[in-house]
Amino acid sequence: MQSAAVDLPDASDEPLAEAVVDLVLRGMWRGRPESEHRPLVDAGLAMVKGPVVLPTERAKAAAAQILRVPAGSEQEERITAAYEAFLPVNRRIRDVCTAWQCRPDGTANDHSDDVYDAGVRESLEDVHESIQPVLRRLDRVLAGSGQYLTALEAALDRFDDGALEWLASPLCDSYHTVWMRLHQELLLVLGISRAEDEAREEELVTRSRG
Amino acid sequence: MSVTAHGAGPLVPAEAPSGTPGRSLVPYGQGRIRGLDADELGVHGAAMDRLVALGLPVVPGLTMPAGTAASLCERDVAEAAVALVEQLSGRRIGDPARPLLLRLSASAPTEIAGLPPDLACLGIAPARADDLCAVIGGEDALYEVWASTVRMVAEYALDVPVAVLDDAFLDTPGPRARVEVLLSLVAEHGSGPFPDDPAQQLALAARALLGRWASPRARRSRRAQRLPAELAVALHVQALRIGPADHSGYGTAVSRDPETGRLSPQGSFFRGVRRSAPPPHTGEPLDRLAGGTALLEHSLLTLERHLRAPVSVDFEVRDDEISLLAASAQLRPPLRASVCLAADLARDGALGREEAVRRITPAQVQELLHPQLRLTGGEELLVRGLPASPGAATGAVVLSSERALELAADGTRVVLVAAETTPADVPGMLASAAVLTGSGGIASHAAVVARGAGKPAVCGAEGLRVDPAAGTVRFGERVVREGDPVSLDGRTGAVYAGTLSVSVAGPPPELSTLLEWADGVRRLGVRVNADTAAEVETALALGAEGVGLCRTEHQFLGDRLPLIRRVLLAADPTTRDEALVALERAQHEDFTALLTAVGNRPVTVRLLDAPLHEFLPAPGQALDAAEEQRAAALREANPMLGLRGVRLALLHERLYPAQAEALFTAWADVAATGIRPELEVMIPLVSLPEELAAAAGYVRGAADAVAARTGVAVPYRLGTMIETPRAALLAGELAEHAEFFSFGTNDLTQLTYGFSRDDVERQVLASYQERGFLTASPFVRLDPHGVGALVALAAERARSARPGIKLGVCGEHGGDPESIAFCDALGLDYVSCSAHRVPVARMAAAHHALREPRDDDSGSAR
Repeated sequence: MQSAAVDLPDASDEPLAEAVVDLVLRGMWRGRPESEHRPLVDAGLAMVKGPVVLPTERAKAAAAQILRVPAGSEQEERITAAYEAFLPVNRRIRDVCTAWQCRPDGTANDHSDDVYDAGVRESLEDVHESIQPVLRRLDRVLAGSGQYLTALEAALDRFDDGALEWLASPLCDSYHTVWMRLHQELLLVLGISRAEDEAREEELVTRSRG
Repeated sequence: MSVTAHGAGPLVPAEAPSGTPGRSLVPYGQGRIRGLDADELGVHGAAMDRLVALGLPVVPGLTMPAGTAASLCERDVAEAAVALVEQLSGRRIGDPARPLLLRLSASAPTEIAGLPPDLACLGIAPARADDLCAVIGGEDALYEVWASTVRMVAEYALDVPVAVLDDAFLDTPGPRARVEVLLSLVAEHGSGPFPDDPAQQLALAARALLGRWASPRARRSRRAQRLPAELAVALHVQALRIGPADHSGYGTAVSRDPETGRLSPQGSFFRGVRRSAPPPHTGEPLDRLAGGTALLEHSLLTLERHLRAPVSVDFEVRDDEISLLAASAQLRPPLRASVCLAADLARDGALGREEAVRRITPAQVQELLHPQLRLTGGEELLVRGLPASPGAATGAVVLSSERALELAADGTRVVLVAAETTPADVPGMLASAAVLTGSGGIASHAAVVARGAGKPAVCGAEGLRVDPAAGTVRFGERVVREGDPVSLDGRTGAVYAGTLSVSVAGPPPELSTLLEWADGVRRLGVRVNADTAAEVETALALGAEGVGLCRTEHQFLGDRLPLIRRVLLAADPTTRDEALVALERAQHEDFTALLTAVGNRPVTVRLLDAPLHEFLPAPGQALDAAEEQRAAALREANPMLGLRGVRLALLHERLYPAQAEALFTAWADVAATGIRPELEVMIPLVSLPEELAAAAGYVRGAADAVAARTGVAVPYRLGTMIETPRAALLAGELAEHAEFFSFGTNDLTQLTYGFSRDDVERQVLASYQERGFLTASPFVRLDPHGVGALVALAAERARSARPGIKLGVCGEHGGDPESIAFCDALGLDYVSCSAHRVPVARMAAAHHALREPRDDDSGSAR
């Protein structure tokens, strides 16, 4: 057991560590069998609220500790490079989701206008084209991050099959849901706070002016 | 829609290439003279033609019609195009004093998505770049645009592998270095070098653009828009006149203010070279244009009159002068702009009033009357953030997902407040009525999630500090504790302390005008379901013509509950009569206020309908053991189908006479002040003609008693609700005792389907809709085949028994546009709906009348 501030799940208990990371990155579990969340609850890492399982503060700290790569390492440097390439695209995916949900005048997009929706789909394709090389690089330096491209492509396929909620709905593993999870993992891996993240994104996006 | 509206039609076969290269180059403005339309010119070419015809200033350029566009890939045609644009703009490529570059773009016969991006900066070469940067006074923008052009050409015309290009973009962030790397990559991996010659660049760019248009991605996009797979596009070569960044730039403008809808150019412009995605926060308002906005205003007004729609333009600024790059009717203009324009055009006689009414749909009326917080001026504004997701809500502050889920499980409405949001906040957001965050903008993850879940949200509220340990949130100096109520408006970004009421916004003036015109068109009357004087006043302001349903149940609740309880549970007749007298007095006051508010309009008062159990004390709450026993004896297994409506009145024979006497006396009092409401007394839950006859007897007796006491013979009509299938089937017999019917379509739907609404809405309807059994909830949209058939049959039988009988609908369907159309088609006299749906119903009734004009409109009087 570690003497650090956070009492981590035993290092030998790999499934528990994996589960707590998954729960924290997802923010919640719904509809999972009790056998999956029971060990986490017993370890004080999860709480059950009605149909939802939530991570505890301890779980969040544990996940941060499990995921964090050594500060100053070469791995950190290479992941940081990918993260910085990720940030400007991160701005764009949120703009795409916003355009999907709201027309430019702020009214809800009722999806009655094929041309408008196809235009948003085009910008989504631009985002998807831009994020692929970033994720391919990330995959080389961060184990397991390959799953994000797979999940993003799965969401995109379902979206293209006409299930429109697969772009931005928080109720399924939509493109945005997966993206948010990827973002959260990068922040925990690099130990970056949300405030720092926002400032860095703003700086990268506005860098070029003249 | 574009300047010339056109369907995407089959394409004209390619013209045979003629001897002279560039014979098919069409300068902006000359397409129509050559007999070409949008099919050949593309929407952009046709729009530029129209702008020239209207005498508006446009950027010099030319179109390669769709049929011959591919020939621009040939060197000699490209040379001719370069020469022609140089001639049209009076500049030469490579002239260091008045530099010129070219932009290549594509357009289809209609406005579509998925066109290849524009390729700008054609004609530039490394040796000439410094001269250009010197003229501009900057280099980033130029190199950025240049880099994306080289990348597209490299990928689609020179076969450089995508992975190589991706790596170059990731590894070389600076735009100037990027261009250098890309040019050397092309030299290394490409099928040829990136040429310096402008015509060769243009020819390659045309090949890249058409290559991109033929790519799998573009084909997928065409499929999604149901466009022909082989749709051909026109190409356009535009002059890109380079000038000092301080006096040159580009921008966009729309004709109307989105907030007010009034004519007033809105937009922004950017200095420097035009980019597809200008850096954020660098746009400037139009009034900073050194050359003024007069020409822009003139252009927008001219276009608006011509297109009869709110318009948008893209423009270029060169030496402080404006010329237009593109113009079109706004595809989806802000609602208020559309409404204002329709009213403006109709007032000017440019549009008929009916046409103006037709332009605004009932759904749009609803959208304009969105719920908002009712402000009285005394509210405490906690903070103003960014309006991130529309809607108004109120609830108790929670600071964690955990707390949100706990409270929401008890049915408490909560507002999740978070300084910043992570995936862990998503479950809390889903459980909340609204979301407030301290960081992030309208495109933050939190905003995307809130909109995805349909929750109102305010984001980026500056100065918001959450202290989870203390369970508080600070707005500057003000401290709010977890559990305290707050109210927020996701359209304005305002957050207030306390619980504010949420109500419907009044129609803006131009909508009121259109609704008045709609009133002139419709046949169907629109009334309101309103129980109190205050509700009646709100509804009259929204255009209700009267009250179609006044439920009297509320007159027996609250502090009057003990009185009705005594009537029902009285041990002896004296106690009961005392309670009845007290009730009558209280009801008299209510009715006087209601009738005064109604004025000289019709008002349908429904006598007591509530199920008995609503008035009985909970077990163990009765005054004494004897009353407890009497209450126990009255409890029912299924109160909604038990002792209710007319059935209760027939068992407690003094109930309806007392109510009717209070009503008639109130009418006599109000009439004495000069107001004469058209009174309609309605008996609920009838299924036997005998029930109605008996209840009618009570009402007549009450009228006689009031006449004897006051000397006023109160004029009234007597009618019944039709809310059981039996009542609908026996409409002919019931009509003998009734001067009007009101279809209570909520109950009629429950009883026709055998649905208990609360239960099926929770368990059944969603699954039925998913399976395709139902397209809409029958409680929202009147089921035309079953319930609607009963209404149609009852209307027919009632009319044959009593021609001219007044028929209305007072269920919630009275506010649903499709159900309204159904009622209008049956020739019913009115629909009655809740106050906030009244404007929607007025518009829906007008639209149906315009869609289905009836030859004989005299059939039914309102």
